[in-house]
Amino acid sequence: MSVPADAALGGLVLAPRRGRAHATNRAVVFRQAWLLARNDLRQELRDLELVLTAAFFTLVVLVMFALAFAALPAAAQVLAVPGMLWLAVAFVGALTLTRIFDREREADTLRAVLTWPVERVAIYFGKLAVSLLVVVGCGALLMPALALLFPTAGVFFERPLEAIALLVLGCVAYCATGTLFAAGLATASGKNVLLSVILYPLTSPALIFALVSTRALLEGHPQFSTYLGQLAAVDLVVLVLASWLFEPVLVGSQRPHGPSPRARRERARVQAERP
Amino acid sequence: MTTSSTPSATGGATRWLPPVLLLGAAVALPYSVQRIFLHTAIEKKMGTVQKIFYFHVPLAWIMMALAITCGIAAAVQLRNRSRKAEALSIAAGELVLVTGLGVLLTGPIWGHATWGRAWTWDARQVSTGLLWLVFAAFVLLRRYGAAGSERLAAALAVFGAVDVPIIYYAVKIWKTTHPTTDVVGTLPPQMWAALWPALGALMALTLALLLVRLGQERDAAALDDAWIAFDEGGPEPRAEKGAG
Repeated sequence: MSVPADAALGGLVLAPRRGRAHATNRAVVFRQAWLLARNDLRQELRDLELVLTAAFFTLVVLVMFALAFAALPAAAQVLAVPGMLWLAVAFVGALTLTRIFDREREADTLRAVLTWPVERVAIYFGKLAVSLLVVVGCGALLMPALALLFPTAGVFFERPLEAIALLVLGCVAYCATGTLFAAGLATASGKNVLLSVILYPLTSPALIFALVSTRALLEGHPQFSTYLGQLAAVDLVVLVLASWLFEPVLVGSQRPHGPSPRARRERARVQAERP
Repeated sequence: MTTSSTPSATGGATRWLPPVLLLGAAVALPYSVQRIFLHTAIEKKMGTVQKIFYFHVPLAWIMMALAITCGIAAAVQLRNRSRKAEALSIAAGELVLVTGLGVLLTGPIWGHATWGRAWTWDARQVSTGLLWLVFAAFVLLRRYGAAGSERLAAALAVFGAVDVPIIYYAVKIWKTTHPTTDVVGTLPPQMWAALWPALGALMALTLALLLVRLGQERDAAALDDAWIAFDEGGPEPRAEKGAG
């Protein structure tokens, strides 16, 4: 049984804004995104809920890894460490994204934000920035910890710039996809369980690129920079696609609201038949 | 309530074309099997098992085409709020699962005989598996998502379709043991000739299924519209029927 698309936001009529994005200055979008992100960060600074739970979760996962893979031979470490890093990022990412939008849903504020005179893309980038900050922060915990646990991962200390670039690029691809779908699920009234169902298959190409690059970094592979470039290309594709899809997914496209032509014809016919 | 008064709400083609296509497939499939097994030479290196190629490759092509169709239809659905495009994206997305299952079953059989291992974690195998998972997520979201998740599912399909070129180039990016795409280009004419009937038969079958599913989806949409019209303009609301 499908419900009309308009009912997705509880029947709230959101004014379509055709062409606004072209007219507005790019700086305005950035400013709006910054204001939205700052608002979220301020709220976060008051209780630190997101940061502390994510960091604690990272710690627990690290302890599990340390217990499970304590005596891993060096050859196996090269294969295992990238997996541990990106699996942990994927788990923490799903947790963070769910929580960020749960918070909006609890107070029904996402709908309020969507009715603001703000570019929708700015909302996307604001949310992306916050989730990225948390996930990269957890990655910044993960990388040194893995380097301490597994000697092979000491490369993270030896080549910090490359490691940071890798972490950021990988997290961007993950969070850029995740923000879109977490936002979509948050507006579609419930069933956040579906986020992991959607997120893991969709982000797996990006995570595979990240895995390959991480292994290349650990092995000192000469093609590391090529892999990193490919990861950046994946980032770009995902960012463009997700920011393009954000508005259609959250509020629907710009076509005027109302019943379909067939429904209108049908209604006219029913009304004509009435005495 | 006479919705039948609007002549064939689901269009004419979806009514008569599927039986015709199914009939065509029923003729072409046995013909292609005869052609493949009796009139085409056995490949020197791989032997008889190479025959599975005539089903594996067309199925893979069809799966790719369906994935791209689903993605484009979903993009149109998002952009224009087109119900037709939505129906097409649902039908194509579900058929990606079916054809993908065919690809993922025939591939390992071929691989087991040729490479000695059914699943070699080769990049294209993995990417095909991932594509299948993406569309499985699409179908799950369509089926179990809350109200309003149809746009989200469409976004998922668009992402899935963008994965298709990545899959195609995955072979070139990561050097692997999978036969490169050039295999098809350098095929002897005899093998090409045997590939076309198989492709045609499978295409006809898939297209028939697609049209049937499309018709179902459009019927469902028409029924929804009729209920909306009835609720808004009807003489009196009848809750006991609407609840079903």
